[in-house]
Amino acid sequence: MAASTTRGKYVISSHSQEPAQEPGDPDERLVFLINEGKHLFPNEYYPLWETACGKLSHAGYGALIPLSYARHSPKLVKILNSETAINFAATVSLAAIKVNRAAAELLPKAAVIAAHELKSTQAFTSWVTTIEELIYNAPESLLAVLERTQKIVSTLTPDQFRTWVLTGLRSTGDDALRQINYFSFTDPESEKWFRHEAGDVVFTDLDRRLKLYLLSLWSLRPPIRDLPASTSPLSLRRISISNGVVRVPEVFPGFHGEQAEKIFRAGLAHVGAHLVYSTKIFPLGELKPIQVALVSLLEDARVEYLAIQTFPGLRKLWQQFHVAKPSGPKLVPLLLSRLARALIDKEYKDKDGWVQKGRDMFFDPQNDMTDPAMCRSIGVLLGNDLGQLRAQFNAKTYVVEPAYRDDNMGLWDFGDQQGQEEDSDGIFIEAMRMDREEVEDDSSSEQEQDQKENDEDEQQYHARESTDSEQRESEVAVRYPEYDYLTGSERPNWTCVLEYFPDFGDAYKIERILEKHNNLVNRITKLIQTAKVSLPERLHRQSVGESLDLDACVNAVISRRMGDTPDPRIYSTTERKHRDLSVMVLLDISNSTNDKVQVSGTSVLELEIQATSLLAYAMSELNDPFAISAFCSDGKEDVHYYRIKDFNSPYDTRARAHLAGLHGKLSTRMGAAMRHATEDLVAQRTHRRLLLVISDGEPSDIDVDDQQYLVEDARKVVRSISRLGIDTFCVGLDAGGDNYLHKIFGRKNVAVIDKLEHLPEKLPLLYLRLTA
Amino acid sequence: MNLDDYLITEEPYYSPTHNEIQLFEAAYANRMPMMLKGPTGCGKTRFVEYIAWKLKKPLITVSCHEDMTASDLVGRYLLDAEGTVWHDGPLTLAVRHGAICYLDEIVEARQDTSVVIHSLTDDRRILSLEKKNEVIKANKDFQIVISYNPGYQSVLKDLKESTKQRFGAIDFDYPKAEDEAKIIAHESGIDTKTAAKLVQISERSRNLKGHGLDEGASTRMLIYAAQLMSKGIPLEEACEVALVLPITDDLDIRNALSSAIEACA
Repeated sequence: MAASTTRGKYVISSHSQEPAQEPGDPDERLVFLINEGKHLFPNEYYPLWETACGKLSHAGYGALIPLSYARHSPKLVKILNSETAINFAATVSLAAIKVNRAAAELLPKAAVIAAHELKSTQAFTSWVTTIEELIYNAPESLLAVLERTQKIVSTLTPDQFRTWVLTGLRSTGDDALRQINYFSFTDPESEKWFRHEAGDVVFTDLDRRLKLYLLSLWSLRPPIRDLPASTSPLSLRRISISNGVVRVPEVFPGFHGEQAEKIFRAGLAHVGAHLVYSTKIFPLGELKPIQVALVSLLEDARVEYLAIQTFPGLRKLWQQFHVAKPSGPKLVPLLLSRLARALIDKEYKDKDGWVQKGRDMFFDPQNDMTDPAMCRSIGVLLGNDLGQLRAQFNAKTYVVEPAYRDDNMGLWDFGDQQGQEEDSDGIFIEAMRMDREEVEDDSSSEQEQDQKENDEDEQQYHARESTDSEQRESEVAVRYPEYDYLTGSERPNWTCVLEYFPDFGDAYKIERILEKHNNLVNRITKLIQTAKVSLPERLHRQSVGESLDLDACVNAVISRRMGDTPDPRIYSTTERKHRDLSVMVLLDISNSTNDKVQVSGTSVLELEIQATSLLAYAMSELNDPFAISAFCSDGKEDVHYYRIKDFNSPYDTRARAHLAGLHGKLSTRMGAAMRHATEDLVAQRTHRRLLLVISDGEPSDIDVDDQQYLVEDARKVVRSISRLGIDTFCVGLDAGGDNYLHKIFGRKNVAVIDKLEHLPEKLPLLYLRLTA
Repeated sequence: MNLDDYLITEEPYYSPTHNEIQLFEAAYANRMPMMLKGPTGCGKTRFVEYIAWKLKKPLITVSCHEDMTASDLVGRYLLDAEGTVWHDGPLTLAVRHGAICYLDEIVEARQDTSVVIHSLTDDRRILSLEKKNEVIKANKDFQIVISYNPGYQSVLKDLKESTKQRFGAIDFDYPKAEDEAKIIAHESGIDTKTAAKLVQISERSRNLKGHGLDEGASTRMLIYAAQLMSKGIPLEEACEVALVLPITDDLDIRNALSSAIEACA
């Protein structure tokens, strides 16, 4: 056992130039390595390192860990310094205790790789810090990360590495298996966030502008989704259109910065061309795989040709990705790329007979370019020619080139021939079908899933237009970023807010509340009525005021000269006269709102409903625009959002029934709900806009351990909303969450009430904030 | 007083989109008060100028602003060394001497201004100057024209129903593509092919209306872009200056628009 290596027993080897032979016995080997270290460490540090080695070997971690440390850590001296190398022993020890021997043994080796890449002590130290965070939070994943050290440190800075690790921890929660999937890059999310951190342009970054681009060019608004995880390697993924849904890969590997933006744009422009000009679906019929590939290629060229007729600038956009050379071996995929280039690039010259023939046939003036059928007839002929050339075509490995073009699966009608492809020609179809299934979704009941997704997309497409879609569970799904205080940045598209249709309750319940609190209702209405929230208006001809009204003064002098009595009202002043204010009331209906309020004995939710019904009554009486929504959450992918009343819908029995029908459940992901509510508020064109959150306290969610995380996110939302010129105010019910609410909204923007009767006392605070 | 300064001597270029000229002439024959509706920069003001030239009547234009009062329109007493002098406002001038009075963006003005014109817009056709104790019967040539942008104002700033109902209205929109191209070519001196490209670009921006843009690019904007191009500025840059940058501050929309312009180029 290594325990026998004690100081003083080391035999100092002679200063030979040749490296000495390592002994075979682990104990002896350690002694040998520690001796070797003497040449590498400066004199004053050597004893410290020796002690560190000794500690590791005495700790009972087995022989391999101290050996690995003794072998690799001296290399850190050269790259960094002795202190770092010696201190690193503590991390190795930590890994040995918290994780396992395999990871701890690998750690020194990984550290050398990291040090080589990172070069500075500071960067290395922050790499070690992140590793330690991993050791504490996801010990099972440490090995996976260490194995990929080269990839990680060569791409990410230590800070980016930390952000990527934190993202992984946030998205996987406590689930060790999911953590391992993430950190071993099995989970596609992992690669996505990795690319994101590396500064690669991912689709998420461009989502909005590209959608606007399509809208601007063709007035098209197809639903666009991320390409779901599939087994095909990332580099081979292509945009895919099926049933009107466009799926875009998160990244095009190999394209960075501006190039990446261009390829996404080229891709979406190509999709647009398909949607506008690919009016028919080709029946598969008896076509061979090569013919299918060719017809698709020709159809690509045809729609691009038509699009270029309208938008000539698109030629430049697309052409830059056609880089096929008119030489090289006559392999089918290369020939196809050359043909593709020949069909878009006028300048391109290719001596190959087949490519020339394809070009001539395509641009034959007899062709009707608006008819997809021409592609089919030319494609079939060209395919036969290739067949006669005995050129090999492997449908399974074929990928559409250039990368911006879509996989063209949406062009074909595969009929219902599943399982009938026994002959060899069917492999491509089979391969395509497989691809397609992977692309669709890996759910077992593909069709059903497909149908459902379609429905959802439809719904999202028509977003708010459908008002009477009462049966639908979730009408709208919108993704929002979330702020992580640990990294100090927002993760794009992190949460998903789903709009659900609210239940109906007893609308008379609201009436009864109003009846019961009759005098409160009056007080609140009066209170709101007197609050003037608008642009200050200049009032002329006042008997009192802070400045002279010049017109009035002139008139007064004129009157005097003419012998009349001058009007003494010669001042002007400013005053807010109206209430130009939209209010969005956002109700927290998480499970905790079922708790009883100490003072009044009713549940928090009950109190929320009561307060809201009083406010809503007052606002509707005064004709103030307002909306009511409620939220709760079930993890980051399912934030429930209920629209009780929209700004442009009346506060009628239906809205009241929805309000009465609320019941408390699930958790409180406040930030996401506030982001969603803001979307509506932004569209309001009033002088002031107010987001009024009624909550019982602390934000929380089932997939978040870190209490501070959601609080900080909500705080961030409040700050970013205020930058849009929207005010936020929170009515806290019960004193429990007091502190959190203060932290999120700011001390002055929170009013805590524990009894409905206190509402009129606290409301002035709110309106005071708005008029100040 | 002579309103010769207000006469439009040279024919302003105006390309009719429908039969608006005929309609307006018929309205003028009856001195019917008219309201011109339509988005900004589609040619409302140019139309009024053209009509005034065609009818050979002086045109008095008042751009209304939110601090404008009735006395800014009607007139006021002013002080001078000797005493007080009455000074006719632009509306009074038009009423007294017979001109077309064009109140641009009337909803912007304070509410009392729109009431002043009430007595002029029904069969009485009189303007009473209370301060001066005078009632003016409108000159036979006088006509009132206002412009009005529906939807673009907040609800608070809308014309009163009693005001609205005193006017006949002509709806303006951006001209048809080929007409618009002709207008642009004429106003800027660029060839019609380039002008057609600019119109195609404006189509791209109008597609974004309601999705982040309040209005698409107006004909006026396109003319500006074309004028820059006639001085040798390349298309993309001219559009950036005259169209993309003024219309929005949203970076994503700017990016989408610029890329769409590249596609058209």
